[in-house]
Formats: sequence, structure tokens, C-alpha cells
Amino acid sequence: MLKRSMILTVGFLAAAGSVATAQRAVTLLNVSYDPTRELYQEYNTAFAAYYKQKTGVTVNFQQSHGGSGKQARSVIDGLEADVVTLALAYDIDAIAQNARLLPANWQTRLPDNSSPYTSTIVFLVRKGNPKHIRDWNDLARPGISVITPNPKTSGGARWNFLAAWGYALRQPGGNEARARDLVTRIYKNVPVLDAGARGSTTTFVQRGIGDVLIAWENEALLAVKELGPDKFDIVMPSVSILAEPPVAVVDKNAGRHHTTEVAQEYLRYLYTDAGQDIIARNYYRPRNQAIAARYANIFPKMTLFTIDEVFGGWSKAQPLYFGDGGIFDQIYQGR
Amino acid sequence: MRKIPGVLLVVVIASAVAAQHLVAQDDSTTARIERLEQQIRINDRLREIWQDSVATVLKAAPVISASRDGFSIRSADNAFSLRIKGYVHSDGRYFLSDSLKPGTTQFLLRRVRPIFEATVFKIYDVRIMPDFGAGTTVLQDAYIEARFAPGFRVRSGKYKPPVGLERLQSATDIVFAERGLPTNLVPNRDVGFQVAGDLFQGRVSYAAALMNGVPDVSLGDGDNNDDKDLAGRIFFTPFRNSTGNLLQNLGFGVSGTLGNQVGTPTTTGAGLAGYRTAGQATFFAFRNNNALNGTTIADGRITRVSPQANYYAGRFGFMGEYVKTKHRVSLNGVVETIPVEAWQVVGTFGLFGGSPSFRGINPKKAFDPKAGGWGALELAVRYGRLTVGDEAFPVYADSTTQARQASGLGIGFNWYLNRNVKLVTSYEQTKFKGGAATGNREKESVLFSRVQFSF
Repeated sequence: MLKRSMILTVGFLAAAGSVATAQRAVTLLNVSYDPTRELYQEYNTAFAAYYKQKTGVTVNFQQSHGGSGKQARSVIDGLEADVVTLALAYDIDAIAQNARLLPANWQTRLPDNSSPYTSTIVFLVRKGNPKHIRDWNDLARPGISVITPNPKTSGGARWNFLAAWGYALRQPGGNEARARDLVTRIYKNVPVLDAGARGSTTTFVQRGIGDVLIAWENEALLAVKELGPDKFDIVMPSVSILAEPPVAVVDKNAGRHHTTEVAQEYLRYLYTDAGQDIIARNYYRPRNQAIAARYANIFPKMTLFTIDEVFGGWSKAQPLYFGDGGIFDQIYQGR
Repeated sequence: MRKIPGVLLVVVIASAVAAQHLVAQDDSTTARIERLEQQIRINDRLREIWQDSVATVLKAAPVISASRDGFSIRSADNAFSLRIKGYVHSDGRYFLSDSLKPGTTQFLLRRVRPIFEATVFKIYDVRIMPDFGAGTTVLQDAYIEARFAPGFRVRSGKYKPPVGLERLQSATDIVFAERGLPTNLVPNRDVGFQVAGDLFQGRVSYAAALMNGVPDVSLGDGDNNDDKDLAGRIFFTPFRNSTGNLLQNLGFGVSGTLGNQVGTPTTTGAGLAGYRTAGQATFFAFRNNNALNGTTIADGRITRVSPQANYYAGRFGFMGEYVKTKHRVSLNGVVETIPVEAWQVVGTFGLFGGSPSFRGINPKKAFDPKAGGWGALELAVRYGRLTVGDEAFPVYADSTTQARQASGLGIGFNWYLNRNVKLVTSYEQTKFKGGAATGNREKESVLFSRVQFSF
């Protein structure tokens, strides 16, 4: 009786389980940073069509956007992202280190350090540039109102901070003290710290606050496109930073959701010609040089430095500048 | 060339200076206005950001709630929760014809059951329900359940096996103070694991369980043999999603168990249960003298089958079930299979304030005479019968003391003051065949009262 009972039960469980797994649709949760809404809206549609044609499987998407640091914290705290597409590698490193949801070498799994697109930091000013803002040192002038988000929560804000710092270091006679002085004076001119880049864009563009928005290049181009070139100008500073937003599959979450294969394909597709074209159309600089050449009129050549060159990478820059009690805290609390 | 008069020159110069001053003044005023406007915008934006932050914090904050369904604390995303519920039955039993003292007129706490339920990671539930009724402590429910899909839930622990219809109804929702005669023949609580689910938008419910196996109407916390029992139930509600259909609340199905039980004289009841009246008096039990020689014991296969149905429409409600069991028993090495069967039909009628359902009545208006609310009143009638097969007498049960048949007729009124407080009054008369040295056991007439508080 016991054996027969067991066999019947196991058989029943197997049948029920096979019914449950016979699915032809999957859902991917992409946890991303603030300004990528439009990019992934278009990309997800294209990828879903591609994947459906290739495999017959329907992919539904859930998107989550917010300050990059905040988003990483949410994933660490249990937001079950299948993939993360954040503003900087440090935030994905934090997920790997604190939640162990993906391996430490995640950045080596895709080309270009898992950054399928780049961007940089530029200035968005009111039409005609009435305050004559040309470069980073203009942001520190008395009477200039500067809009930038909070580096404690926003990846974009951290790029902004380091771009200004790197500019100061690269000036004749530039050193850490002068960089700190410049950045301190810039933050004295910041009246509002939003949590993310999209919030800062709202502050500057829709609420009409400030003379200059320190912005992702893609965010600035999008603002001009959406609101018309008669309202804003983009100012390219003499030097800026090369931002490399990375992407990664969150292995453990994807494994649990049985979405590993589709999640990997989702990120690989970013490197294809179709994916790179969508990236460029949404004002991110594509890695593919042929595609980049097609959009050369949108992305002028700029002098860019990398975080590795100037700051020794995120692992050094993050705790020094943005850790609790770090340089940003000292500067901002001392305003 | 004519000379400009000196006075005129002074006026022109003065005007120019004044104009320049006015322009400067205008510039200064415009700049001040712009600065003020900026400051106002900044203040507005800061307030906006602050409000967003508060909203975000509130959105992520745990939610504490107190309602008629109990008290709970849950995480903002509903993935984690703790719910505290419970109920108390404060009863009175009044035996109206008890010259042979089948029962004792008394007040008692029939059930005192706090319930603790928790959910973690959205789909994993735990439920713990002890019972302190009648001054004893019995663990009624303690199980973990994973809800993988509506059609696929897995449960492990101690719970009601999926067999008797009225047994599966919560004690807070039964329409009489005590369940009817068929419940004598189905397990109460058992330990094991179960797969269950609702298919086809809930039109079909199924459950299959592998359990230790317990005697009729019994609870078990372990086992005394290696054999395990299978229990299964399938129940159909084909019209449940057809709003307005007269058959929307029609349900029917069948359940059963299959297993082996082996009793010993040292085991209480020897692996066999006695059967009780509504007044909880035992009217039938197998022979048991606590010695191997002279005690009827469970000795092999036990099967149960139970077709069942319920139907609710408007003010009317109906529930009916039939249970047939076959026990293989032995006495002094002589083996016999004893059939026992029981059935009941229960009718309910909502006199005012609400409509009957399997989950009782949810009063349209809570009792509050000042506001015109009188709660809901329900009339309930039932008739049922339990018959022990002739094979039991006189070898395995003493026909001079154990009744071979009990027939119960009950009528009751349930006054739902609100969803949480219910007053129950019922009268139950049970007649017997056999059970006395000569003729039949004296009939039992019991009046019940109950105050139920549940949350």
C-alpha cells in the first residue's frame, strides 16, 4: 500500500509539474537607471519581436527605473531583477558583492566590459546661453544656478561630479586641492538635489529652475528633441568623462525564474546592428563604429577621459568620493 | 550755429541721468523679481521632492491593518505578512430527556482557537492553530503550504484531510453547534502532505494527500504502522463564473480514502473510533477491554467514499453528503469487514439580513438598532442517519449497549450580529435502533446555545 501510494503521488506530482512548466511566455524584469526609459521601451519591443520569431516564445517586460544606486539597493534588498542595466559598474559590483546574485567577474561576460553603449556629460542651458556658460569653471561662478542630482543615489550624478573633478585636475596647475575647491563652489550653486537624473531634468526643463543642467548627453539631446531647439542649447565642455553604463544578467534571479537563456540573449542583442541602431537613435553612443559613423552628426567628437585613467576605477573612486563621510558628504554638508 | 541755452542743457543732462537711473532701477526690479520667482520655484520643487520621498517611504513601509478578517502586518509589496486570527465558542448544552444520563447539561468552552498565519516570499504560507477548548490543548492545524500556481499548491503538516464536506467547512461557518452524523466517519486532522489546486478558473478543485491515516473522526500526530493512507477529493462548481445563473453556486463532488490501519489493545480505541451524537454522547463503540483478548482492533484495509454536494441560491442553501466506510477489524483473531454508512441533508433559509453560503452569512447590516441594522437571521434544518453494519453485532460490538443506528433531526436559528459575532440556538433530537438490553437506547434531546466570536 505504501509503495503504491508513493508511486501514485510521485506520478501525480510529475504530471502537475509538467503542466506548470509547459509555458510559451516569459517575463523579464529589467532594473535600469533613470534616463533609459525611452531606450528600453523601444529596445524591448524590438527584442520581443526578434525572440518570438526566433523561438516562438513571447517575452513580456517589466521595467523599473530610478537612481542607479537606489536601484542597485533595491535588487540587493530583494527586487527580483532578471537583468540590470545600470549607470555604472560599481552599482552592479555592489549587487555581486552584497547579495551574491551574480559572479564577481560579471563584467567579462560581454564585450566592451559589458557596456554596449557609452555616453558623456554635457551642459543643457537656456536658449541663447544667457549666462555664457562654456566650461566647468563657469558653473562655479557666483550667481549661477546649477542643477544636478544627488551622487548618493544617482549614477549620473556621480559621473557629473567626477567629470568636474577630472576637468580641474587636467587644468594647468591642477591638483586635488584645486579640484576640491572647484567642485565645492559648483555644489554651492546647486539649489535642488534630485534623487535621479530624470528628476533633475524635470527640475530644469519643466519647473524652469536653474541656469544649467549637468546632464547625460542622451538626456540633453532628448530634452532638446522633445521640447524644441528654440528653448535649450547644449554646451559641450572642453573636456568630459567617458561614461560606460554596464549591463548584466542577475544569475540567481534569472535561474529561479527560468529566464537565464532569454536574459542572456536580451543583453547580447544589444550588441547586434539592430540593437546598436536603437541605441544610437536614443542618443546613446553605440560601440559599433559603423553605426556610430551613421550618427556622427549627433555625437560630436569630444575630449573624454575615463574613470580608470583619472581615478583608478570605480572601486577606488566610490568609497573616496561617495562613501559615507566621503568627499561629497564633506563638501555638501559644509555648504 | 545757435548756442543751446544753458538751462536747456541742464534739463537735457538731468533727464538723461534720470532716464539712466530709471533703466537701472527697472533692471534691478526685473532681476529681483526673477530671483524671487526662482526662489519660489525652488521651494515648490523642494516640496515636491520631499513629498515624493515621503510617498516612497510610505510605499515601502509595512502596512498594519485591523479588520473583520483579523489583524495583520504585511510588507508593502505583500511578499511578507503575519496575520493573527482566532475564534471562541462559548456553548451551553441542555439535555432535555436524559433519564439515563447520556450527557451532562453544562456550559463549556467548546473551542478556543487562536490562529497564526504567515506568508514569506509571496507564496509560502504557514498556519498554526491550537485549540484550548474544554480545558485541553490540542494542536489542530500546523502546516506549511507553497502556492506555486492556482492549480498547484503543495502542503505539508497537520491539517484536515480532503474528505468530509462539513468537516472541510470552518467551525465558524457550520450552521449547527455540532457537525452532523456523517462527520463521524471521516478523518478530522492528520499529518502528511497534499497537492491541491483550482483548475479551469476555479470550476474544478482537486486535492490528493498522502497521510499517516487516522481512525474515523480522529486527529493524529503520528502513526503506529508503516502503511500510509491516500485521500483524494474532486469537487466541481461548473457555473461559478456565470453571474446571474441560478446554478452559479452549485457544487458537487466525491472524495475518499484508501489505507490500512492496525490497532492494538493498548492503543486508545484500538485503531477504531466510537460514534457520537450531536450532544457528543457515544452511541456506538467496538468492544474494548484494554486487553488483547476481548478488544476489537483495526486489522487492515479501511476505505471511505463520500459523494457530496451543496447549493446556494438567494435565501436558500442546501448541503448534503453521504459517507460509506468499510473497516477490516478482528477480535481474538477472527476477522470481519464492517460497513458503516451515514448521510445528512441540511437546509438553510435566510430570514433576513443576508444570504446563506458555504461560508455562512455575511450580514448586509451589522446589528445596530439605532442605525436600523439587525444583522442577519438564518433558519437551519437537518436530518441525518448513521447505520453500523449488522456484521458488527454481536461479536465485535455489544448489541445490548451499542446502538446500530442513530437518526438525528435538528432545527436551529443563527443570528449573525455581524461578520464576527454569531449567536447559535439549535435543538437536536436523536433516535436510536438498538443500544439497550431490551429495545432501543433512549432518544437524546439536546438544546444548544453558542456565542461565537471570530476575527
